[in-house]
Amino acid sequence: MSETTAFVLEIGCEEIPARFLEGAEHDLGERLGSALREARLLVQDASAVKTASTPRRLLAYVPALLRAQPDRIEQLTGPPVKAAFDKEGKPTRAAESFAAKNKAHVSDLKRVTTPKGEYLALEVAEVGKPAVEVLVEILPLVLGGMTFPKNMYWTAKAGPLFVRPIRWILALLDEGRGPMVVPFEFAEVKSGKFTYGHRLQGSQPVAVADLNLDFLLEKHLVVVHAQKRRERVRQVIKALVEESGFKAAADEWLETWVVNSTEWPVPLMGGFDPRYLALPREVLVTVMRDHQKYFAVEDEAGNLQPQFITVLNVPGDPKGLIRQGHERVLAARFADAEFFWNADQKITLAKRIPMLSHVTYQAKLGTYADKIQRMKVLAEKNCGELERSGSMNAAERGHALRAVELCKCDLTTQMVQEFTELQGVMGGLYAKSQGEPAEVSEAIYDHYKPVGIEDSCSRSVVGAVVSLADKLDSVVAGFSVGLEPTGSSDPFGLRRAGNGVIKLLVESLPGLNLERLAQTAFARWEAGLSGGDLEARVLAFLRERMGYYLESTGMRYDIVRAVLRTLQAGFVPSWTVERARALEKVVDTDDFAALSAAAKRTRNILHKSAELSDFGEMGEPKKPAKPGEELDLYEAYFEMKEQLARYESECDYTAAFRALATLRPTVDAFFDRVLVMDPDEQIRSNRLRLLSHLNVQVFLRLADLAEIAPATAASTGRG
Amino acid sequence: MNFQEMMIRLSQYWASRDCVLALPYDMEVGAGTMCPETFFRVLGRKDWRVAYVQPSRRPADGRYGENPNRLIKHTQMQVILKPPPVDIQELYLESLTSLGIELRDHDVRFEEDNWESPTLGAWGVGWQVLLDGLEITQFTYFQQCGGIDLEPISVEITYGLERIAAFLQNVNNVYDMMWNNKQKYGALRLQEELELSVYDFETADAEACRQMFDLNERESARVLAGYDGIESDAVRHRFPLQKAFELCLKCSHLFNILDARGAVSVTERVALIGRVRKLACRVAAIDVDRKTREAVSA
Repeated sequence: MSETTAFVLEIGCEEIPARFLEGAEHDLGERLGSALREARLLVQDASAVKTASTPRRLLAYVPALLRAQPDRIEQLTGPPVKAAFDKEGKPTRAAESFAAKNKAHVSDLKRVTTPKGEYLALEVAEVGKPAVEVLVEILPLVLGGMTFPKNMYWTAKAGPLFVRPIRWILALLDEGRGPMVVPFEFAEVKSGKFTYGHRLQGSQPVAVADLNLDFLLEKHLVVVHAQKRRERVRQVIKALVEESGFKAAADEWLETWVVNSTEWPVPLMGGFDPRYLALPREVLVTVMRDHQKYFAVEDEAGNLQPQFITVLNVPGDPKGLIRQGHERVLAARFADAEFFWNADQKITLAKRIPMLSHVTYQAKLGTYADKIQRMKVLAEKNCGELERSGSMNAAERGHALRAVELCKCDLTTQMVQEFTELQGVMGGLYAKSQGEPAEVSEAIYDHYKPVGIEDSCSRSVVGAVVSLADKLDSVVAGFSVGLEPTGSSDPFGLRRAGNGVIKLLVESLPGLNLERLAQTAFARWEAGLSGGDLEARVLAFLRERMGYYLESTGMRYDIVRAVLRTLQAGFVPSWTVERARALEKVVDTDDFAALSAAAKRTRNILHKSAELSDFGEMGEPKKPAKPGEELDLYEAYFEMKEQLARYESECDYTAAFRALATLRPTVDAFFDRVLVMDPDEQIRSNRLRLLSHLNVQVFLRLADLAEIAPATAASTGRG
Repeated sequence: MNFQEMMIRLSQYWASRDCVLALPYDMEVGAGTMCPETFFRVLGRKDWRVAYVQPSRRPADGRYGENPNRLIKHTQMQVILKPPPVDIQELYLESLTSLGIELRDHDVRFEEDNWESPTLGAWGVGWQVLLDGLEITQFTYFQQCGGIDLEPISVEITYGLERIAAFLQNVNNVYDMMWNNKQKYGALRLQEELELSVYDFETADAEACRQMFDLNERESARVLAGYDGIESDAVRHRFPLQKAFELCLKCSHLFNILDARGAVSVTERVALIGRVRKLACRVAAIDVDRKTREAVSA
């Protein structure tokens, strides 16, 4: 008999939500694999656990499981030899009782040397248990350890908890002559030897002979591997649209959803009345994709066709009833949307402006009318700065302010009340259809963008200005009434808004100073509302978002920290990014690493020095009288300070960091040859003053060089 | 199959599965869940199976009878199974067969949808059941009711009867479907939809509705406050809890009218829902307390 056998586990559930399925399958594989490994039941290098899943089952298959745990010798450590024998060399009570406890004689004990000294020990041969015995123990723990984003009870609060009710468990070991049940109970269900096919097959149990269930279940209308279902969906969709020359709109999210909510996927094409094509594409696609889970069909140029593809979970539609049903549902939904589209247009967005004073933004923050007023002030300020820097003209300024006025008016339309995910988009579409300039309608359309850090920004500067005003106002307003995010709770979505602020300022509106912008926002709040440290808290929060943005671009954490600690020059997110990128280029050079070490050393000396607190007021260091390393550093410092100022004003951070690196030999020589803590008080304090200025004006100027991790740590950190 | 035949078949089906056939509740409710046959019976430990047809009102869904699919007052078939049998999904699918739906010719799907009633402090986990893309049933494993963890769990199956009927009769407009073999749904219901819409959207006096809300809330709270001091089992036994619950339901419906009328801001909305929920949770707590005491003394 071979040493290994196969094992299969199937957890039969009521329909597991599509969004949880991949995670659940992965979790089962990981937990079972590590439990088997820990139990010494896996052959080394064997491709341990294979998994599969459908909405009604989670599967794990182990092709090579040891029939039994290998035997092993376990060493039990007893008392130290010193305490085990008395002066005459007779065993003490400690030795006797250790032996007795383990059913052995003192003569059976060995001496072993450990780091703590010599000890008595007993070697016990442990006979490995058969796989089935081990499985019975570990399987309930494996299943019980599984976690899901949302669990449920289905018998009682005291009963089992899982993602959905478990209705059968198949657990079989291959015993040569046939499969053997691994008998255990989980979630009040006893394991057995049967599986079940597709729902259409009714509730007849299916006996299992071969432990690889793929083939058996396919005969019962279940494709267990998601990848295989995906390929099938792709192939059939391709075949469906091939003749017409059309294509299904690419949609990975929808494809995954469909794959994870079927056992036997069969794409089917249906149609709708072409008159609905007069509705905006966004509306049609939202209804088809988000509400009905249909793929939209397009021609080569991307124009929607009056067709859709749904994916059935049955082999076919012999009587055409299923297609008819889907077509009727879609027609009803489109009829609703058409009604909203026409009804909403009877009142233009502009006429809806006064209605915003009846739409609450947040209890303590008033209505959307109030929010629009605040956004206007911010937008005006931004436009002013952008105009001065030549990034915007007067016409664009007008468009931006118009877009601000109109951007929230779609909240009062029936379409947005029905399809809330279309807010902003609908505003843009209505604005366009009502003859607002394209710049205005596009800005409204885009003004929620970027929705997350991965989302793109608005198409135009005008749109970016509107979006920035919206998001910055949300952040400042939210903080002003205590809605700031804490831990995992962020009730007002301020982190996301903050991320949007940073992304817009880096990618769409470079050069704007966030600190000054935020001040404009604060000016809108009464002193009472803002409270003492509101401004500081908001800026700290936005700095944190800045760090998050940098990290999301793959920037090393020490570089992120280094540039975030230096914001004296004002908080200009686009410059912060440039400084980080420039620093990244030089950070791994030897000169820079040495300079970073020098910066840390300087910081330490200054910290230790009792006179530290006085440096700020003591003015610049005096020029050392004698030539030498101190005078060299003194002169290099002033020259460097000037150079950095020049590069900074030109925003040439790469040149600035390169220049900084040239300081290394002078700094190194100073620390090698000069004793800072000279006994002479005057000399000492002048040297400390020089270091203090060097620290603030050079080491901290563009980034906090002391934050840079040593090369080895940094390179492992990057892997 | 006409509309009334459907109600009869479903009733027969669930009656044959040991369900009590209860009467529709004689008050305005937003859903069958709000009826005492569900709200009180899912609380406590006693087994329970019930099925009933329940007209349910959603003022905000009113469309003056002009929309072919949306109704202020739609008809639910509500089924409660406590505790749920292990073959509950098969039982449900069989009930569709009893309506003449040949499962082999259709695509029935259980798609994740977790139901919640914030006014009742009730929520559950489950699915919406789709028949060829049409949502026909809400299928829920109740987890909490009145803010109380359920022990045992109940399954709630709520059929949307108009949708299923329109599907079975292959009509596109709900008002065209046959109630019996002579009368259309529209003949019975169209005028009512129009009038209810006119009242809820136009005529309703928000101030009067608010006052009625306050009044019902106060009366319900007053009744409920009387439970705390009760010491004798006999007095506790005759405590009018169901009436306090009915007053709470009145608040819920008045809130729905205010909401449809557009008289409620987003924040006020949360506050009003919270006030109704507070009553409902208090009712549930008293119910469980009384059931526990009576079980102990029995």
